[in-house]
Amino acid sequence: MRVVIAEDGLLLREGLAQLLGARGFDVVGTCETADRLLRLVEDSAPDVAVVDIRLPPTHSDEGLQAALEIRARHPSVGVLVLSQYVELGLAMKLLAESAEGVGYLLKNRVNNLTDFLAAVRRVAAGGTAIDPIIISTLLSKRRSDDPLAELTTREREILVLMAEGRSNQGIADKLVITLRAVERHVSTVFGKLGLPSTGKESRRVLAVLLYLRS
Amino acid sequence: MVSFALAPRAETGLIRAPPRPLVLLAFALAGCAAAAFSVVSALASDHVREPEAQAALVVWVILAYVLAGAVAWWRRPESRLGPLMIAAGFGTFVSMLGWSNLDLLRTTGQAFDFLPPILFLHVFLAFPTGRLERPVERAVVLAAYVLGIGLGLVRMLLGGFGPDRMFELVSEPGVADVLLRVQLVTSAALAMAGVGVLVARRRGAGRPLRRSVALLHDSFALALVLIAVLALRHALGISGFETIQRATFFAVGLAPLAFLIGLLHARLARSAVGELLVELQADPAPPDLRDSLARALRDPSLTLAYWLPEFGSYADHDGRPVTLPGAGGRPATRLIDRGGAHVAVLLHDPALRDEPELLEAVTAVAGMALENARLNVELRARVEELRGSRARILEAGSRERQRLERNLHDGAQHRLVALSLQLSLLEEQLAGDRSAATQLDRARAEIDLSLEELREIAQGLHPAVVSGHGLAVALEGLAARASVPVHVSVELEGRLPEPLEVAAYYLVAETLTNVGKYAHASRATVEVTRRIDSVRVDVVDDGVGGADTSGGTGLRGLADRVEALGGSLRIWSPAGRGTHVRAEMPCAS
Repeated sequence: MRVVIAEDGLLLREGLAQLLGARGFDVVGTCETADRLLRLVEDSAPDVAVVDIRLPPTHSDEGLQAALEIRARHPSVGVLVLSQYVELGLAMKLLAESAEGVGYLLKNRVNNLTDFLAAVRRVAAGGTAIDPIIISTLLSKRRSDDPLAELTTREREILVLMAEGRSNQGIADKLVITLRAVERHVSTVFGKLGLPSTGKESRRVLAVLLYLRS
Repeated sequence: MVSFALAPRAETGLIRAPPRPLVLLAFALAGCAAAAFSVVSALASDHVREPEAQAALVVWVILAYVLAGAVAWWRRPESRLGPLMIAAGFGTFVSMLGWSNLDLLRTTGQAFDFLPPILFLHVFLAFPTGRLERPVERAVVLAAYVLGIGLGLVRMLLGGFGPDRMFELVSEPGVADVLLRVQLVTSAALAMAGVGVLVARRRGAGRPLRRSVALLHDSFALALVLIAVLALRHALGISGFETIQRATFFAVGLAPLAFLIGLLHARLARSAVGELLVELQADPAPPDLRDSLARALRDPSLTLAYWLPEFGSYADHDGRPVTLPGAGGRPATRLIDRGGAHVAVLLHDPALRDEPELLEAVTAVAGMALENARLNVELRARVEELRGSRARILEAGSRERQRLERNLHDGAQHRLVALSLQLSLLEEQLAGDRSAATQLDRARAEIDLSLEELREIAQGLHPAVVSGHGLAVALEGLAARASVPVHVSVELEGRLPEPLEVAAYYLVAETLTNVGKYAHASRATVEVTRRIDSVRVDVVDDGVGGADTSGGTGLRGLADRVEALGGSLRIWSPAGRGTHVRAEMPCAS
């Protein structure tokens, strides 16, 4: 899998390149600015771009704009945005067109290599990776006559993992249960929330996020 | 407040004492004597055609200028126009000495044949102050004097006047005749230039001329046109000369009459002053004196600026600094003093100089009210300055916090993330060592906690998401983190100035925290709406209401922030009916 990295902090940029290289990714380029990133994507046709949301020169939204531009111009390239903070509004912006090939994670998710690498692979393959903090924040709201209250603990776990963008198999691996058990839970959750069950994983990410946000 | 040191200039509207009545009387009597002498010399003259008619016209002009000049001098001692008009009257008399049969008088009169039209041009262009204010006016009048009198004297030396040719040096009647034609043609041109100046002046006035002043301008222009026609016909030797001459004399004499009517009208205009007096004594006093003065002076462009000695500058009604135009610029300035202290300045249409009495009376009547208003303005200026310094302090604090947040992001946070990456790589190498894995897990958990804390600190220092991604995205995040469902609606086109966005963000953050803590609400709405020249932020919940609006450092801090931006914060919280917080902050669209 071909990866490009845009990150203005030297330690993290080199660390990420080293880590991904050691895990069998082909790191075809690294850069510090949004402009260079766009050119890099143009030239080297990667499967996925890992992008810091704050890039020079102003460190405001250059990274996000570059990510949106890559999604518009190169739909086949996955974009994984990393940030020191995660914001629901930015997640919704990134997912606005579709959830395919998009990721938005806190930077320190790199401390769990298994999950982080799974997320990179998922985004590269056209899947989705949304930071669990966003989902848990939304889940912590008090609601009156709340269907979420009727979910069991296991079902809540499944809901969070679905919203992160994991596949049924991914959820099964994570929770160490069978695929059949996951499928059963998923359809129960959709039933309790009154959501139409959709086949594609990226679609159900959006469906769950929109449900939780409303 | 910017202090532009500008000491009040020593006064332009200073009143000079009018001349003593005896002096004026002497001038008037001398004028009458001059007129009588002209009549006698016309009737006795051996070379004047139709002496009766000529004499009557000259009496008309001399008396008109000398008498109107005396009145003008008496009524407007600060203007030089009165003495100038008297001079024009006597100038006419001097040129009429040419009718005399005595050779010396006849020669003198003919040498100064061109003096009257030059003096009329001077009077017309110097109206109303008696001074030639602009370079073009000075140039026209100076050229007229040089050509009219200078060439007249040269002609006298070349050919002499009268039968005895006194003062003739060389006999060159041909050259003298050419010079006469040059004089006639140039005076026609200068008279038309004078008309041009008058027309341009009238076009340039922002304030419509009063009818009597317009009449005066018309009579000036008419007289100048007739003088030009007269001179040209004479130069070309066309007949019908007498009729034109009479018409010209008549029109020239009309101008002082129109001037007298104008003076009378100025007295009538004082009824406007009476209305002003009533208005000023009304209770409550008019909110802005400027409007009352503008009405009384009929000058909508009027600006009233109060002198604030403490700041060394002028300020308007709201305490905002006013810069005076440079000397001689538009609009004209008029300083107002009271009891030896400078109080204010009026910036008015220059056309108001036509009515010095009105300006004088209005400023005199408004004096006391102006002094009171000045004190109020001084107070407002101080408040304005305090507001400015509060905003600057907040702004400086905000910049500093933004810098700290940035340092945190680029420094500690970044290093911790990199460290956690290193630990992950280390774990790879130590695969299989269970006790090492446990310790690494603990270390990573510590790093996660540290990062979590740092994130909260950074967020508290400065909401980077606001400056990076705008209010709508930031408020969506706040809504997501709120403990109850929050509906957010942001109706803005483009971004707001950053201090406004940050203030709105903290307002919503603090208010939603309060909703979570105290309101027992089931939902809330956040609305940001653009008004014409402000931005309004409304946060409404459906909780128990009865919020303590008096204290709470959180609310006080929010109010400070909003007020420093010139805005206001209001809270409605009736018991049992929810809480509504509204901030309105000025923002030019």
